[in-house]
Amino acid sequence: MRVLVVEDEKKTASFVRKALQAEGFAVDACHNGDDALAAAKSTPFDVIVLDIMLPGRDGLSVLRQFRERKNATPVLLLSARGEVNERVEGLNAGADDYLPKPFKLAELVARVRALCRRSGENKSTVLHVADLRLDTVTHRAQRGGTDIELTAREYRLLEFLMQSAGRLCGRMMILEKVWDYDFDPGTNLVDVYIRRLREKIDAGFEPKLLHTVRGAGYLMKAQP
Amino acid sequence: MTIRTRLTLWYAGVLTVSLLVIGLGTYREIDEQLRHAHRRAPAERAISETSEMVFEVGLPAVALGLLGGWWLTRKALAPVSQLTEAITKVHERNLREPLPRTGSGDELDRLTEVFNALLARLDDSFNRVREFSLHASHELKTPLTVLCGETETALRANSRSPAERERLVSQLDELHRLARIVDGLTLLAKADAGQVDLKFEPVGLDELVRDNFADAQILAEPQHIQVELAGCEPLAVRGDRHRLRQLLLNLADNAVKYNQPQGRVTMNLRRTGEAAEFTIANTGAGILPESLPRVFDRFYRGDPAHSHTVDGCGLGLSIAKWIVLAHQGTIQIESAPSQLTTVTVRLPLNAT
Repeated sequence: MRVLVVEDEKKTASFVRKALQAEGFAVDACHNGDDALAAAKSTPFDVIVLDIMLPGRDGLSVLRQFRERKNATPVLLLSARGEVNERVEGLNAGADDYLPKPFKLAELVARVRALCRRSGENKSTVLHVADLRLDTVTHRAQRGGTDIELTAREYRLLEFLMQSAGRLCGRMMILEKVWDYDFDPGTNLVDVYIRRLREKIDAGFEPKLLHTVRGAGYLMKAQP
Repeated sequence: MTIRTRLTLWYAGVLTVSLLVIGLGTYREIDEQLRHAHRRAPAERAISETSEMVFEVGLPAVALGLLGGWWLTRKALAPVSQLTEAITKVHERNLREPLPRTGSGDELDRLTEVFNALLARLDDSFNRVREFSLHASHELKTPLTVLCGETETALRANSRSPAERERLVSQLDELHRLARIVDGLTLLAKADAGQVDLKFEPVGLDELVRDNFADAQILAEPQHIQVELAGCEPLAVRGDRHRLRQLLLNLADNAVKYNQPQGRVTMNLRRTGEAAEFTIANTGAGILPESLPRVFDRFYRGDPAHSHTVDGCGLGLSIAKWIVLAHQGTIQIESAPSQLTTVTVRLPLNAT
């Protein structure tokens, strides 16, 4: 998996690069829009991480150029402006995801990973993790043959976690996908929901499936 | 006493005095003539002739004069009333619009000119403050991103001891808190500068309230606080769905945070006249009367003892107020120590 990081702030570019490399990605970095366009022309990337505020040609214009050239590489936009509308504007310009600064590194890595797997996503209507089973048509959840009753929100949370099984899910990402919040409410809503969900799907069962990664987010997988 | 009344009274005084003078003059004149014409009893006839003249000719003239005077002062002072009315409408948001000038170059026109210059200077300093907060919150984001990133990178290294990890995690928690404060400040700075575009559409408020009710129940669970939804009428408003959800969640979060264990939160959504009224009441310590008018102020914490035990960015209610005002609504808070704290939000109903 090869990622292009376009970020003019050197320190940010450096730790993003390190974090992605630590996750096994091959990372190229460049610091302005023209270099990014040149790099994307010569090398096929799996994901492009693109800062909106770049010297000279800005991120959105780079993104439009990519799309005009029929380059369909998934793009994750980064922005320090954090404007509510910027997100919409970015997605309209052809971005696949948007992350406001300051972001959690774990969140960024999780999103990049999610974009890499997007095309090969499991299209089955029944999700499995170990002996946990979730039918996305009937909304029925079972563990070890026992039915689990879920509220609508719990169902959406579980569905999202199971679709991302094996991948870390950041709190912001969960708020976005499950709650459809475009802001950080500054509450422990996610943590409390996770605790409840854990009581329903993990209490009395082995192995535990829903794991907390401190300071980063949550992870659903069979092996600890 | 207004200038107009004062001027009119003075004018009436002047007219009365001149009437007296005219009367006296007429009396002398008539008296003289009568003395020459008839030699007898001139005094009584002179008086009756004079009073006849004064009452039949003078008084109507005075009345007409007074009416004219009243009209004149009114006309002369009309620009002052207009100016007063225009100045009453000046507030923080429309400093840029100058007051209308008559262009006559008189004293009042000069006053308007000076006042407009004052407004321009005020607008300038307001803008500078706004721009400062906007730039400050942007400038803070880059170093914060770097700090968060570096701390997370440090946390990833497997060689850390548990104590070290604990320290880093706690550091990261504080960094994220700081990030939330900066986020809130950015939002408010943008709102002040009128740079937030809200996406207005018909929104089913009852649906958002029901969603929020479910979230509030979850938030309240760890402290065994009971959350109730007393009523939820189907009501539609024109608004920005995301911001309205943010508003409701902010209020619910406060109602839980400033509550007591085993306390209560009651929400209600109903129609009052042409508005949708959402109330949320919570038990708990309540708010001191002197703090009440300031709870919507940025970073205001009523009880200093609370500020450390309750986590939050101190901007929740300021943001809530901005969202309500941006929707042409009103927000009120009622509370007293050890009493229910009730927040009432009224939003105009969707006209269609």
